[in-house]
Amino acid sequence: MSLLDLDYMLGLAPILMRYLPLTLEMAAAGMVLALALACGLAVIRVLRIPGLNAATLLFISFFRGTPLLVQLFLFYYGLPQLLAFLTQINGITATIMGLTLHFSAYMAESIRAAIVGVDRSQTEAALSIGMTNGQLMRRIVLPQATRVAVPTLMNYFIDMIKATSLAFTLGVTELMGATQKEAAGSFLYFEAFITVAIFYWVIVELLAWFQRRLETRLNEAYRR
Amino acid sequence: MLKHITLAALAAGILAAGQAQADADVIKVGMSGSYFPFTFVEQDELQGFEVDVLEAIAEEMGVEVEFVTASFSGLFGMLESGRIDTIANQITITEERSAKYAFTEPYVYDGAQVVIKEGNEAVQSVEDLKGKTVAVNLGSNYEELLRELPYADEIDIRTYESNIEQDTALGRVDAFVMDRISASQVIKDKPMPLALAGTPFSEIRNALPFRDTKEGRALRDRVDTALDTLRESGTLQTFSEEWFGTDVTRL
Repeated sequence: MSLLDLDYMLGLAPILMRYLPLTLEMAAAGMVLALALACGLAVIRVLRIPGLNAATLLFISFFRGTPLLVQLFLFYYGLPQLLAFLTQINGITATIMGLTLHFSAYMAESIRAAIVGVDRSQTEAALSIGMTNGQLMRRIVLPQATRVAVPTLMNYFIDMIKATSLAFTLGVTELMGATQKEAAGSFLYFEAFITVAIFYWVIVELLAWFQRRLETRLNEAYRR
Repeated sequence: MLKHITLAALAAGILAAGQAQADADVIKVGMSGSYFPFTFVEQDELQGFEVDVLEAIAEEMGVEVEFVTASFSGLFGMLESGRIDTIANQITITEERSAKYAFTEPYVYDGAQVVIKEGNEAVQSVEDLKGKTVAVNLGSNYEELLRELPYADEIDIRTYESNIEQDTALGRVDAFVMDRISASQVIKDKPMPLALAGTPFSEIRNALPFRDTKEGRALRDRVDTALDTLRESGTLQTFSEEWFGTDVTRL
């Protein structure tokens, strides 16, 4: 028996390719929604909006304080016992919602840190020349905060792509689920799992390349 | 905050809107897709004894069958929450499960089997498991069967989500317990250094569980009728002989 069944791996790759779009779609949808939610949460935290601030703290505390798998199970298998209509939500949607809630809790904190990190003197200068609060945010604070937040947000996106591999526990056959089932049919575990590892690795490397380009662009104004 | 959650839920709702609603002409069957040779995938095609049987049942009933694959640990949650109608994954009838679910008549008669890494002289029967580490699948009833043994306290039972064959072949555990049929098949067909240890130690009967509601029981009765027909026509026996080389569908 050879060390690695390369033919099997080459045969498996095109099959896994069919499940790649679903993995990417779930991660992309999760990222867009999580980013939107996180921005809202971050603004609430920065402005310390009464009432909402406390609720946001509780939200972040829970979704950061419990494992994603627990949240997915709670949401998909637990809650429908109380609220029957939740069974209408399919596994893909539930995964996206789970990713959104979980990662927005983390992302809200890094967005908040990036906003708070913009030096106070910048705000004072902007207000002194008569900018409104909206203009101050749009023109001064957010561009600088974005540059600071991008590296950590990309980190969460990378983590989210890999977290989609939990979706098979909710009956979604994505990249990892397809691999597990193929491995169960062939019993070539090493080959199957190394193939899927390469898949994730390549996706993440492509993203890292994109991130470097994005950061270069955001840093243009700071080059000397 | 509530507003934001509502927004996320709304967005997710739009994504879900395209989903088909459950209707009476489709029977949704959950399975792990990772239990050779009952339900497994090769070249992206779901197949196995369970797939053949459930397709035949659906044809007999004149309905469509839709297979839903998920980790074994998720299957009963799906049944509970109404996402599937039944589970075709060699579900053994136990007291607890009978109290909770409406089972069909058994369609597979099997036994619990100890499997070891080839050449492991230390374990030759279920009695030898004393002081050993034994792997079982999460949510399967083999853990229960092991716990019923008089020397259960001396067995180190490890529960796995999947891949117990691999961990036994790697020597990380001393043995695993599974049904005799699939254990024999794995050893025969797959390149794993495994062997059966002794004879099956407990008889098990496998059937299809349905929710114990009026609708669930009604569906169960229709499936039972279809099973009867398939048993009498010899179809079940044919499937069994195709997959296992022997008839396991009768006592």
